[in-house]
Amino acid sequence: MQWILTALGATAAAGLELLEALAIILAVGASRRWRDALLGAGAAVVACLAVAAALGPALLAQASGDPLRVIVGVLLLLFGLEWLRKGVLRLAGRRARSSSAAEYDETRSELEDDPLPPPGRPDWAGRIVAFKGVLLEGIEVVLIVSALGARPGGLAPALVGTTIALVLVVGLGVWARRPLSRVPETELKCGVGVVLTTFGTFFCAEGLGVDWPGGDLALLYVGAVVAAVAAVQVAALARPAARVKA
Amino acid sequence: MSVLRELRKLVLGETWVLPLGVAALLAASLILRAVAPDLWEDAGGFLLLGGVVGLLAAVSAGSASRRRNR
Repeated sequence: MQWILTALGATAAAGLELLEALAIILAVGASRRWRDALLGAGAAVVACLAVAAALGPALLAQASGDPLRVIVGVLLLLFGLEWLRKGVLRLAGRRARSSSAAEYDETRSELEDDPLPPPGRPDWAGRIVAFKGVLLEGIEVVLIVSALGARPGGLAPALVGTTIALVLVVGLGVWARRPLSRVPETELKCGVGVVLTTFGTFFCAEGLGVDWPGGDLALLYVGAVVAAVAAVQVAALARPAARVKA
Repeated sequence: MSVLRELRKLVLGETWVLPLGVAALLAASLILRAVAPDLWEDAGGFLLLGGVVGLLAAVSAGSASRRRNR
């Protein structure tokens, strides 16, 4: 149960972040030069791998057993609740929906004012935009995957999920050559928020000595409660806006 | 500096209420575990879950009202 949910959570979380990174690379490549876009993105990937190589062993060296479960739980709660908060606001119409296509357009217009250097000269504006965009999305992937993978037995499903996401997103990018506008990113992000919050609550309580009734099955009822409360919040916060429109 | 600000937002989120709320939940859990260990072992998970969903409800309602007031 934990293996499948961890892999699913890592696939969805990494996939959504990588979609946003892909939109930035595509925007730089399409509006500037592909070489500079890929160089900037490649440098960011190296930086993210360095962070992952430093973070994983450091996390495991500092804590093990129950303290590690609490640390992982708190990290997952921070990520999960933030994703859920934004998801609730977006689904309630209080915030713009999450869209890689919008990010693509924003990045293109951000670069419009910078003149492209002559052929043979490096395009630092394009490289920096690609580097910064991929670095920020990539570090979020590293933090979430490290948190999901840091507990005993969690590394394999977290890495499998991330690899699946990477293959899917790179494949989509090569095939489509522009961001996908039909992916329901807001709903998927809300789902990831539910999964991360569920794991966070489960591990935090387990690390503090709680004996969950049903063992791993608790993940199902904890997830159901979190999803139900998020749905109720969406309905409650959407109602006043609907009245205003009517 | 903007990259550092973005990194802080990545880890702690856009609002301070959420990390402070999670810290308060953790502190309350530790106190309850020390005061009533048997109760905590049996019902602590549900109490923590209640706190988590309460925090979610509070923080999303708070964010919505701040956006409405802008």
